[in-house]
Amino acid sequence: MTIPETVGVFVGIPGGIIAALGFAVYGKSLLHQPNRYRPGRPWNYQPAWFVPHPDAVVAGGRPGSAPAVEGVSTSTTAVGGASGEW
Amino acid sequence: MSGEVATSPHNFIQHGPHGFDVGEHGFTARQLSRLDEALTLSSRESGLTFSVYIGALQPPTRAHAEALFERLDDDSVLIAISPTQRVLHVVTGPESSRRLPNRACALAALAMRASFSQGDLVGGIVTGLRMLADSAGRA
Repeated sequence: MTIPETVGVFVGIPGGIIAALGFAVYGKSLLHQPNRYRPGRPWNYQPAWFVPHPDAVVAGGRPGSAPAVEGVSTSTTAVGGASGEW
Repeated sequence: MSGEVATSPHNFIQHGPHGFDVGEHGFTARQLSRLDEALTLSSRESGLTFSVYIGALQPPTRAHAEALFERLDDDSVLIAISPTQRVLHVVTGPESSRRLPNRACALAALAMRASFSQGDLVGGIVTGLRMLADSAGRA
């Protein structure tokens, strides 16, 4: 066997098998959860503030109680709540 | 997609699924739709306005979360989460605290902590929203 053949058999084939196994184990989660949060790792994304759409909420709530987030200061003071760390 | 980002709504709203691409806010389209559904359902059922903030909080983090809450209404409930600092705050207002006592908020925070420590941000938020809405009862 020539040197390229030897390298191909003893390095290329085992390397390919290892890569295939690695993808089989980790590939799916990498594709489906590229942003998976790991506790202790930084979260380097833009801050986001999610509010329900006013039209979707009015059905059960009071009309006019839409969230006033768009820069309108309603000066509501916080009363209670809870905190936690993990 | 009915969820909005208060600071820059135009950058956030995604029209239709974008596969598994992660937007600038760190969530896939599927995760965003789960968040959106949980927010809408819990707000509609309870009559309270739930909102979720995910991002860095300036220390003292509780004060920052309460400062954010000042931009909301009396019947709002803010869940502020900082994944980097590993801290979460549930903030209630004058109206919402009558429906949601601190004990109920602490229980939801406990459940969210359990999910977050496993790395499941969206699952924890959905669980927390569901527990808070259940505690508040119907409008």
